Amino acid sequence: MSPAIRVAPVEDIAEGEGLKVDRSVTGTADHIAVLRDDDGEFYALDDTCTHEEASLAEGWIENGQVECPLHAARFCLRTGAALCLPATRHIRRHQVEVRDGEIWLLPDMAPVP
Amino acid sequence: MPSDPAARSEPEPRRSRATVTRRGALHRPAGLEPGIDVGGLVDTEAGLVDRAIFTDERIYRQELRRVFAPSWLFLAHEDQFAKPGDFFTTYMGEDPVIVTRDRTNTIRAFLNSCRHRGARVCRADFGTTRNFTCTYHGWSYDLAGKLVSVPNRDGYPGDFETGQWGLVEVPGIDSYHGLIFGTWNSEAPPLRTALGEMTWYMDAMLDRDPEGTVVVGGIHKWVLEGNWKLAAEQFATDWYHVNMSHASALQLLAPKAKGPKTEIVHRTGRQYVDPRGHGAGFPVHPKNRFDAQTVHDWYDYGALRERLGDARVEGPLTNGHATVFPNFSYLPVNGSIRVWHPKGPDRMEVWAWTVLDRSMPPEVKEAQRLYNLRTFGPSGIFEQDDGENWSEVQSISRGFITNRVPLNYQMGIGSERDDGRYPGMTSELYSDAAGRAFYARWKELMTTPAWHEEQP
Ligand code: FES
Ligand SMILES: [Fe+2]
Repeated sequence: MSPAIRVAPVEDIAEGEGLKVDRSVTGTADHIAVLRDDDGEFYALDDTCTHEEASLAEGWIENGQVECPLHAARFCLRTGAALCLPATRHIRRHQVEVRDGEIWLLPDMAPVP
Repeated sequence: MPSDPAARSEPEPRRSRATVTRRGALHRPAGLEPGIDVGGLVDTEAGLVDRAIFTDERIYRQELRRVFAPSWLFLAHEDQFAKPGDFFTTYMGEDPVIVTRDRTNTIRAFLNSCRHRGARVCRADFGTTRNFTCTYHGWSYDLAGKLVSVPNRDGYPGDFETGQWGLVEVPGIDSYHGLIFGTWNSEAPPLRTALGEMTWYMDAMLDRDPEGTVVVGGIHKWVLEGNWKLAAEQFATDWYHVNMSHASALQLLAPKAKGPKTEIVHRTGRQYVDPRGHGAGFPVHPKNRFDAQTVHDWYDYGALRERLGDARVEGPLTNGHATVFPNFSYLPVNGSIRVWHPKGPDRMEVWAWTVLDRSMPPEVKEAQRLYNLRTFGPSGIFEQDDGENWSEVQSISRGFITNRVPLNYQMGIGSERDDGRYPGMTSELYSDAAGRAFYARWKELMTTPAWHEEQP
């Protein structure tokens, strides 16, 4: 685990919205999408869809899932599992925490398999 | 419909370059789009029209090229686009278009046809999106029309550039008091110039309220057998049919169902005749009003007189009909605005919005919405009569002999004048003057090569 990164105050990401954190900040292979479910919970996944080049931070977030804005692949926010075609590969997930009204990201730095 | 105050600023007039589409060695052979000389089918001096203009497929194809492609066409009301990504799909002539607000809050419109194999990239009527992804092979375009994703991109040759394969953009976008218009002709005169003095008449509906107008309810769409011009022409020029065609509706709406008062039957009024093909007619008796009592009671007529002047309050604000050439019409007092989408020479689709003053309280809006629905909704008591007439005329127009017998547009020949009260040239309430002007403009466009015909 790398050191935690402070992302933004909680109110900066509305329910159902996402924020892309650039890989120059996270130090990970891909950018990271911090995603807020419609129940208010925060999750973080690699930003680029495993199907084609598309940003999941721009996706549709609801009901524990994010849907890619381009070709409608869906991923589980909790596990990163690909839930439907056209995605077939799961997406890497990262830890995210809320401390004192701030969102903190703990990127998974394990090498890409 | 959303009504976020942040979105209320009028869209900036927008002129973008016509999208360059790669043609390679393609060229269209001469004769693929023949120009038919239709000059002999309309005689506006004598007030005669040949019925072929309502039935001939070749003339219809030429209308798409020379009437619809160059003209400013109504697209949508700005109230339909509260935030970036809100979109609405409609047609310009028979060309499908997407109207949307992009990420910089600019209203733009694009041809709704994928640059790959031509499917529509948006198949919803309206909604909110972040991209337009074609459901055929998955090419995706962003809200600015840029091609942003191509599955199996590596399979394309090295000189394939996504920058050259964005959606074709409608180069001219402008709005008038909330009504958004677009044109394919990047050289078209500005919208205000194209509307001319018609704006004075339009303001009787669009500028009553300093807050502007809003769309209430959904957009009604229905199909009618009938050439689009039958409807457009009628809304420009025809109060004449009202007492006959709508007799039963008038009877129903009159107090105690006794039938309308004599003054109402024999009303006086004016008809605006615009050389650009627009037209509007209205009674000039201040008591001639057809609207819901709740709405009538709510209006402060003193304030309206101050804002719009006596001539408008006693004219187009009492009632009336209007067409903005070629295929946008409205009823100023009902709050009905509609487009007559052409669907071949024999068919049209009517798309109708209810547009009301923004500062009306909810109960007044509701009264007006219901009033409009009862009278000019798809099953409205007036709308039904009009549709029946157009379909009736169309259904027999292909008879060989029938088609050759000219139609009469002679009422009020020579009656057009500047009456000193109403801007531009006006004729009598009962007159074919605006109809003759409509067909004169139609003939002018139909006999003039459009800008796209001058290109190689
Ligand atoms: S037709 Fe649109 S992607 Fe092929
Ligand atoms: Fe009518």
